[in-house]
Amino acid sequence: MELGILLIKVFIVMNLSLVLASLCTWLERKGSALIQDRVGANRAGAFVESKRWYVKPALPVIRAMGWLGVINTLMCDSLKGLWKEDFVPEGASKFLHGLAPVIAVLPVMLAFAVLPLAPDFTLGGYTIHPRVAAIDGGLLFVLAMGSVAVYGVAIAGWTGNNKFSLLGALRAAAQMISYELPMGLVFVAIIVVYGTLDVYSIVQEQQKLLWGVIPMWGVVMQPVGFVVLLLAGMAETKRGPFDLPEAESELVAGYFTEYSGMKFLLFWLGEFAEIALFALLLALLFFGGWDIPWVTLPQGVWWAALVGHIVLMTKVVFFCVLQIVIRWTLPRFRYDQLMNMGWKMLLPVALANLVITAVLKVAL
Amino acid sequence: MTFMGFVLSAVAVAAALGVVFNRNPLYSAFCLIVNLLAMAGLYSVLNAHFLAVTQVVVYAGAIMVLVLFVLMLLNLKAESGRKLGIFRTLIAAIIAGSVVTTVYPSVSANFEQLSIHALQENAWRSEGTVKAVGEEIYGRYIRQFELSSLVLLIGIVGAVMLSKRKHSTIGPREGGLGGMK
Repeated sequence: MELGILLIKVFIVMNLSLVLASLCTWLERKGSALIQDRVGANRAGAFVESKRWYVKPALPVIRAMGWLGVINTLMCDSLKGLWKEDFVPEGASKFLHGLAPVIAVLPVMLAFAVLPLAPDFTLGGYTIHPRVAAIDGGLLFVLAMGSVAVYGVAIAGWTGNNKFSLLGALRAAAQMISYELPMGLVFVAIIVVYGTLDVYSIVQEQQKLLWGVIPMWGVVMQPVGFVVLLLAGMAETKRGPFDLPEAESELVAGYFTEYSGMKFLLFWLGEFAEIALFALLLALLFFGGWDIPWVTLPQGVWWAALVGHIVLMTKVVFFCVLQIVIRWTLPRFRYDQLMNMGWKMLLPVALANLVITAVLKVAL
Repeated sequence: MTFMGFVLSAVAVAAALGVVFNRNPLYSAFCLIVNLLAMAGLYSVLNAHFLAVTQVVVYAGAIMVLVLFVLMLLNLKAESGRKLGIFRTLIAAIIAGSVVTTVYPSVSANFEQLSIHALQENAWRSEGTVKAVGEEIYGRYIRQFELSSLVLLIGIVGAVMLSKRKHSTIGPREGGLGGMK
């Protein structure tokens, strides 16, 4: 039974990351259209006709989904990816070429395993912890997986066997290493504030009230850390104004220039899963996770866990939308601006933030 | 757990051999990454989760990315099949043999108690938790820890001094792209 519960949890968490990734894909397609004053995907499924009576009641729903571009995103993109020719450039190692997209996706999904998705609850006599693995130092595990994800990009750029993908991979490697430092320092500051490495305990600590009035959310305790993590995290996902590794005006498509079909889509899947992961991190560390301010839900009841999960997911979707809006609003940085921001701005600010946090923690 | 320990050990040894025998330096680097990840897996089998995660963050995540970065920047080709002369082979064999004969006794002496026992499932120990490691570093080994961080600081300052020397051709230039234009 224990094993069964674990398998169900693995299934749910895996599918949650995929669902969030496809939701982000849809938001990106329709959101970018909205921002750029286009219509966006609205054809696939929008004109479905059928004479069969048992299909007819479902038709309005299908047409609405098609008109909203949902069918285009969920079905057409992936089917197209599966049926395209799988192209491996000449002189590239076939093994590494196939391995790179897997490494781009796998660590992101593994990182979901240590993050709690709802408060603990009891159901049918079993106490269920809604996360796959409760390892010692879960926050560090997320950081480790983020640093492993670089290899997908690096290997992809190298096996592309052309200058543009190699340049993209070099940019990505430099960028991700540079922005990992401020990110790690903000994590350390969070650990100092709440006195634990365990993400579940961090969320529990955030439900307390500061001076009996303000909830002790991360954004209240660590406002500077929040800004730094927002910027560093967007650079880690290689999106938004930080998408220099795939700068299409200079590098064709950067590190995945030589990829086609489903392998190409896997890179996108990894990217959107990263957006979702980062949104989940922000919600858990800085916005109280499943906490509603000044509302105390009963402990250990299944419906309270469900409400908590819905609250958490609302926050996650909000941050997904925020990232997509930023990505489609701001123009791309220049490379020296990117490096200056990482090393001369974010790193000193994160260091100072950590020192001040530690001093305050000891003094108060 | 014992089974996973042996699987990970086999992966680590195979990857280590791959580092040595690959002609292409990039493949060697990839093998080294696999080796480091397998070592991290071994640590977590031994319940040292913190050490495992640190291994992934620091070695597999940061240092090896820099190594890969440099290798890709230089864009090295695979080495041609160059053979060592008899004299060099002899010297290499002597060095390798002396290292093995020095290290092996100290490893094998504790092997029975240490590794097999630690790989057993019931050998739960709290030595690898963040709390235990922190208490050791900031309690018993505080002086050594601070000294080693000083050594690292000296290394960083030295690297900055070397790269910022006058008449250096590598330093930052006008436009910030280091002569890429």
